[in-house]
Amino acid sequence: MVKPMEIACVGTNISSPLGWDTQHNYSAVREGRSSLKSYAGHPFLKEPFVASLFGCEEIEKRFSALCGGGNYTRFEKLAILSVKDALEQTAIDPSSGAVLFVLSSTKGNVELLPDGTSEDLLLGATAGKIAGYFGFTSTPVVISNACISGVCALISASRLLRTGRYSHAVVCGCDVLSEFIVSGFSSLKALSSRECKPFDEARDGLNLGEAAASIVLSTEYTADWKLGEGAITNDANHISGPSRTGEGSYRALLNVLGGNKRPSFINAHGTATRYNDEMESIAIERSGLGELPVNALKAHYGHTLGAAGILESILSMRSADEGIALGIRGYEKKGVSGNVSLSSEPVPVEGGSFVKLLSGFGGCNAALLFTKTGKAVVSQSLHLKELRRVSLSSQGKVRFGKTDGRQAENTDIFGQFKGGDFLTELYKTRIGAYPKFYKMDLLSRLAFVSSELLLEGISELDDASVIFFGTHGSELNDRRFQKSIAEIPSPALFVYTLPNISSGEVAIRHKIHGETIFYYMDKRDDDRMREIVESSCTESGKLMVAGWLDCAGENDFEAALALYETITNDNGRI
Amino acid sequence: MEEFKTELKKQIIETLSLEEMTPDEIDNSAPLFGKGLGLDSIDVLELIVMLERKYGIRLGNPAEGKAVFASIDSLAEYIGKNRKK
Repeated sequence: MVKPMEIACVGTNISSPLGWDTQHNYSAVREGRSSLKSYAGHPFLKEPFVASLFGCEEIEKRFSALCGGGNYTRFEKLAILSVKDALEQTAIDPSSGAVLFVLSSTKGNVELLPDGTSEDLLLGATAGKIAGYFGFTSTPVVISNACISGVCALISASRLLRTGRYSHAVVCGCDVLSEFIVSGFSSLKALSSRECKPFDEARDGLNLGEAAASIVLSTEYTADWKLGEGAITNDANHISGPSRTGEGSYRALLNVLGGNKRPSFINAHGTATRYNDEMESIAIERSGLGELPVNALKAHYGHTLGAAGILESILSMRSADEGIALGIRGYEKKGVSGNVSLSSEPVPVEGGSFVKLLSGFGGCNAALLFTKTGKAVVSQSLHLKELRRVSLSSQGKVRFGKTDGRQAENTDIFGQFKGGDFLTELYKTRIGAYPKFYKMDLLSRLAFVSSELLLEGISELDDASVIFFGTHGSELNDRRFQKSIAEIPSPALFVYTLPNISSGEVAIRHKIHGETIFYYMDKRDDDRMREIVESSCTESGKLMVAGWLDCAGENDFEAALALYETITNDNGRI
Repeated sequence: MEEFKTELKKQIIETLSLEEMTPDEIDNSAPLFGKGLGLDSIDVLELIVMLERKYGIRLGNPAEGKAVFASIDSLAEYIGKNRKK
């Protein structure tokens, strides 16, 4: 289906300690208020830290008053409250199969560890519970792509809407804090013990926050604000440190703006760590956008993780409606080397469009254009041509696909090795010379080895994509990190508690600067995987590594990856 | 001191998952970062955790870490002076 369509933002919600709807939140931000508070000796972390937390039972009370009972976790209640308010602004019936539910979250119900069952902890199932409250009948799309999840969710939703198969999408970003998350960021020495100061010379780290934010997208109803181009890219540099040249962010900005669009302003990630803000300023200058106002909103709510991209975009739309770019709370003196335009006070702007920019662990970056005046987007009808396929399991089996000349090598030579030892043996005998392999968690080792087998002999991967789907995500490593908190939380383990790191490791290895993303699925669904991967084809002639990547246990994992080329007609379809 | 340095190297190899290295391959005076062992920012943080867990030394500031972890020699000397375990 190829027709121009506008993707309009027809409903929004922000649910945070500053208020339960967009209007209250925007007013609070406009007044310069913040929900950041100082804590010391808190169950989440004994060292002093600053964060934005809901009050005790605040979410539960609100849920009880508006939604009644039901066996939902704190995280699920917060997401439901946000989606409910956004949906009620529209006439959309969520039970229609043409309505998608898209969830963005970094850690979902992780606060339930160590006692939580796998069912509680698996984001695919959690999304199903939230969707079930509203009676959605389509299978939820669940994105866990570190701090860029919110923008990825909006981009993914808009692509699926552009296939014509869906009319509306409810996109919700949500994260709640826990000892797991706070001690993890603390172990990386990423937290400030003061209110954060984005782009400021005295900035010394980020604050965390909990919130939910939702946007309802529609191709049938119209509204002032529409989604324009979106791009997801990778630095291919390091799993937690951003590229010093801002490579991924720079490419994302170029992709979205195409060299000739000038947004009114850029709402940056601006976490207030030394490295992130420096990198963003360099990327923005490199893109030739240095004279545009750049702002950052994390000193109002802290870094709200899976909600951030959506929450900050909603505030930016509201401010643009008022003809301003919000000032940067916490900013006093420029402390970044990129030539960018920063202000602690609101700046008058034309207000017709802005770019939301984000970066996250795993080297990923995302940019999304919001516009009131842009032309409707026409999607190319692109398809996938399968070039190769590899599958691997903890039983010690490797299989190559029918199209692959290496089929003859379907091997039993590793038959005596199983589980993690099997991956190590494959690495030692077939790959080697990459000692970082031993630092990876099992999910990343699985991704690394299976991608290596898939991509043998292929070197031109600069703008390829890496798209993984799985049920368990980083659960195995999450449990290992949780255990380490009892003694001293391990930064090396914490870094791997995001499932998209697996795609980042593949990007680093193969110098892939294209899209890297992880989707949770309650159950493996090859048709849905294909639908999502195909909708992600934005240009022909690109390579995509995509498929199933799942680690349920040390001796229970499976990878089934394919290498695709994007083509413009049906002839090459297999 | 030599025995301690060998023990320390084994400790580092285990902490940082440097599976294919042996203590003999790590030169005591060579830089641990950059070209040497190629350790990165996460490795520094893990070594800081190791200092606390194994030797009872709390290093609050990662920036201090780069000097302390410059080489096996500098690290061994620092631990010798500051260890509580």
